[in-house]
Amino acid sequence: MTFLGMPLLRSTRHDDHEIPGGQGNIVEDESFAGVSHQHLSNQQLRNNIGHATATIRDKRSEVVAELDDWEALREAGSRAKNHVMENLPEYLAEFEKNFTAAGGVIHWARDADEANAIVTELVEANAPVLENGRREVIKVKSMATQEIGLNEHLETQDIDAFETDLAELIVQLGDDKPSHILVPAIHRNRDEIRDIFMDKMSDAGDLTNEPAVLAEAARRHLRHKFLTTKVAISGANFGIADTGSLGVVESEGNGRMCLTLPETLITVMGIEKLLPSFDDLEVFLQLLPRSSTGERMNPYTSFWTGTTPGDGPQNVHLVLLDNGRTRALADEHGRTALNCIRCSACMNVCPVYERTGGHAYGSTYPGPIGAILSPLMTGIEVEENGSLPYASSLCGACYDVCPVKINIPEILVHLRGEDVEANHSPVSSQLDAALTGASWMMSDGKRMAAAESGLPIAHAVTGGEQINSLPGIAGAWTSSRDIPALPEKSFRQLWAEDQARAEEEDDET
Amino acid sequence: MTDTAREEILGRINQALGRRGGGEYVSSASGTVPTGSPPSATGSEQSHGTSGEAEAAGADIPAAGGGMVNQSADYLRTGTHEGEDLIELLIDRLVDYKANVHRVSGDPAATIAGLLDSGSKVVVPRGLDDSWMNSFSGEVSVDAPGQELSIPELDAQAAVVTASAVAIAQTGTIVLDGSPECGRRAITLVPDHHVCVVRVADIVDIVPEGIARLTPTAALTFISGPSATSDIELKRVEGVHGPRTLDVVIVDT
Repeated sequence: MTFLGMPLLRSTRHDDHEIPGGQGNIVEDESFAGVSHQHLSNQQLRNNIGHATATIRDKRSEVVAELDDWEALREAGSRAKNHVMENLPEYLAEFEKNFTAAGGVIHWARDADEANAIVTELVEANAPVLENGRREVIKVKSMATQEIGLNEHLETQDIDAFETDLAELIVQLGDDKPSHILVPAIHRNRDEIRDIFMDKMSDAGDLTNEPAVLAEAARRHLRHKFLTTKVAISGANFGIADTGSLGVVESEGNGRMCLTLPETLITVMGIEKLLPSFDDLEVFLQLLPRSSTGERMNPYTSFWTGTTPGDGPQNVHLVLLDNGRTRALADEHGRTALNCIRCSACMNVCPVYERTGGHAYGSTYPGPIGAILSPLMTGIEVEENGSLPYASSLCGACYDVCPVKINIPEILVHLRGEDVEANHSPVSSQLDAALTGASWMMSDGKRMAAAESGLPIAHAVTGGEQINSLPGIAGAWTSSRDIPALPEKSFRQLWAEDQARAEEEDDET
Repeated sequence: MTDTAREEILGRINQALGRRGGGEYVSSASGTVPTGSPPSATGSEQSHGTSGEAEAAGADIPAAGGGMVNQSADYLRTGTHEGEDLIELLIDRLVDYKANVHRVSGDPAATIAGLLDSGSKVVVPRGLDDSWMNSFSGEVSVDAPGQELSIPELDAQAAVVTASAVAIAQTGTIVLDGSPECGRRAITLVPDHHVCVVRVADIVDIVPEGIARLTPTAALTFISGPSATSDIELKRVEGVHGPRTLDVVIVDT
C-alpha cells in the first residue's frame, strides 16, 4: 500500500521560473532530530500529550465505527478536493463573483506580509482607538492567521488581538506557542492552566483546577470583549464556490460571537479551502467533526454568505491567501497535501508526534501533515525544513485516518528524495558512484564472477567474523546494523563445484 | 495593489497546474458550471502517481459547480430510520450531547412556560407562533427588523425561544436558518438559555438529507448540544460562551 522504496521520483516543475514559497511560522528553524531531544526529555510534556492523544484517538475510532459508509465518504472527500485543485482558477473566480455579489469584499494576498498589511489597514479603518491609544480586535482560532504571524504583526501596529478560543487563550496568556492544530494547549495540564489564569487574568479570582471552573473563568474574562468589540478576525474551514459562502466549525460559541456581534468581520482563508458546491458539505460535515474532535458533530457550525441584511456584521471582508500554496500545488507529487482540512487526526495517531509534541516541528502545522506542508509551502532547502520528512517511521497510520486520503507516507518519501538532492549533494554523489559501479559490475556475469573470486580472500581478511563497521558513507548504514560473516565461497563457486562433482559421478556410472 | 496580487496568484496557479500562458481561467458569468479545463494535456492526472483511486477519479471528473458529489455518490444519501425510531434516535443523540429534551403532542405552550423562570425576561423572533408563549407569565420582547434589541438588551434576557429549520437525528444537530421564526443569529447566542422547538416533520435521519433541505445563502447555524470545550485535558465541559442550557421541545402536530 505504502511506497517505501528508494526515493527516486524527482518533481518536475512546469516552468523555469520557480513559484515563490511562503513566509511566516511555517518553517522548521532547528533540525527536527536535534530539537526533539529537548522535548523528549520533558516528562510532563510527554505525559500530557500521551494522555491527550490516546483519549482523542479512542473517541475518533468510536464515532468513525458508527458509520458504515466511512470509506466511501473519505473517497468522496478526496475526490472533491482533487477536483478543486485541478480547477482552482475557475473555482476561485466563481467564489469571488458570488461572495462579492452578496456584499462581501475580497482581497488577494500573495504572502504573509501582504496579508498582514491588508488586515492592518482594514482594522485601522474600522476599529476605534481606545483610551490606551491602541485598537482592539477579537479573534476566532485560525490556522491561517497563525501561519502568517498576524497577532505579532498587529502588536507592532498598536493593535491588540484577543484570542477567544479557550486553548488559544491559554497559549496567549502563557506567552506560549500552540502545539496541536485542534487543541493548541494539549501540552498543558489543568494545574498549569490554573496557574496561568491566576497569574495573567486580572479578573480571575480564586480558581480550582476543575476544567468547568477554568472554562467559567474564560467566559467571564471574554464576555465584555465579545459584547463590545467592533472588529473580529476569523479563519474559515470552507469556502463554497457555487454560493460564495464561508463556514466556521467550532465548539465553544466564541466563533459565533466573533462572526455575529461585531460590525466588521475580516476572514483570512487559504486559496485551497474551496469546495465546489454547498452540497459537498454533506460529505465534509461528516468527515471533519468525526476525524477532528471525535464527535458526531461539533457543537456549533456557522455559514454566512457576504452580508445578511439585519443579521450580523454588515462590513464583511475576505483575504484570500497564497503564501506558498501555489508552490505546493506545483509539486505534482506533493500537491494533495493541499487537500488537508486541518482535522489533526494524523497527529493523534503518529508515534513520533506523540513523543515529541508539536513544538519540535517548528511550524504552525505540526505532526505528519506539518512534516510535508512546511517544506512544500516554503521549500525543502529553507533553514532546517529538510529534517522534517524524516520525522516519521513511515508506519502509515496517518494515511489510514486521513479523512481526505492524503498519502502522507508517500509524500514524506518523495520529500526525502528532494532533501537529498537539494541539501546533501556530497553524500548523494558518493552513493551515486557506488551504485553506478555496482550496476556496471552486476550487469555482466564475467565481471561479477571476477569480483566474487576475491571472496575467499575477503573471508580470510575478516577472519570469518561478522562485520561491524564499513568505511565512507556505508559507515552510516553499519552504525546500527551488522553485516553477517562473509562465506568462504560464492554461490557461483559452489554451483560450479557441484556440477563438476555430478559430471564425475555420471562418468563413473 | 490587490488587483496585481489577484492576477499574479491566478498566474501562479496556472503555472503550477502546467497550463499554457497563464490566465486561462474562465470567469463563469452564469454562476453555474465553470467548465474548468482539466489540464489533461500536460498530464496532471498521471501526477497523482501511485494512488490508484486518484487515477480512477481523474478518469471520471464530475461536472463542477454544483452537484458533483451527487453524481458520483456511493456513500449513503438517505437514512433508514423513520417514524418513532427516527424521533428516538434524535432524542438519544441530543441527550448524549447534554441537551435537555421534551416531547409534546399538540400545543407546546405549557411545556415552554415550564422551562422558563416565571417573571423573567425572554426574547423571541417576530415570526414565532404567538400561541407558544401564551402560558408564560414573564416579559416577552419581540426582536424584529427595525426593532432589534441592542446587545446589552439581549444580554439582559434570561432566555430565547425559537423554532428551527431542520433537525438531523444521526448527529443530534439542529439548524437555524435566520427565517422569521428562527430569528437573527444574535438572539440565540447572547442569552444563556435557548429553548428550541423542533417539529417532527422537520426531522431527517442523516447529514445529506439535512443539507438538502437548507437554503445555502441564508445565515446558517448548526447546533449540536450546548456550547462546550474539550480544551483542558480533553475533558468535555458543557457551557462556555454560547447558551449554557439548551432545551429542545419536540412537537408532534
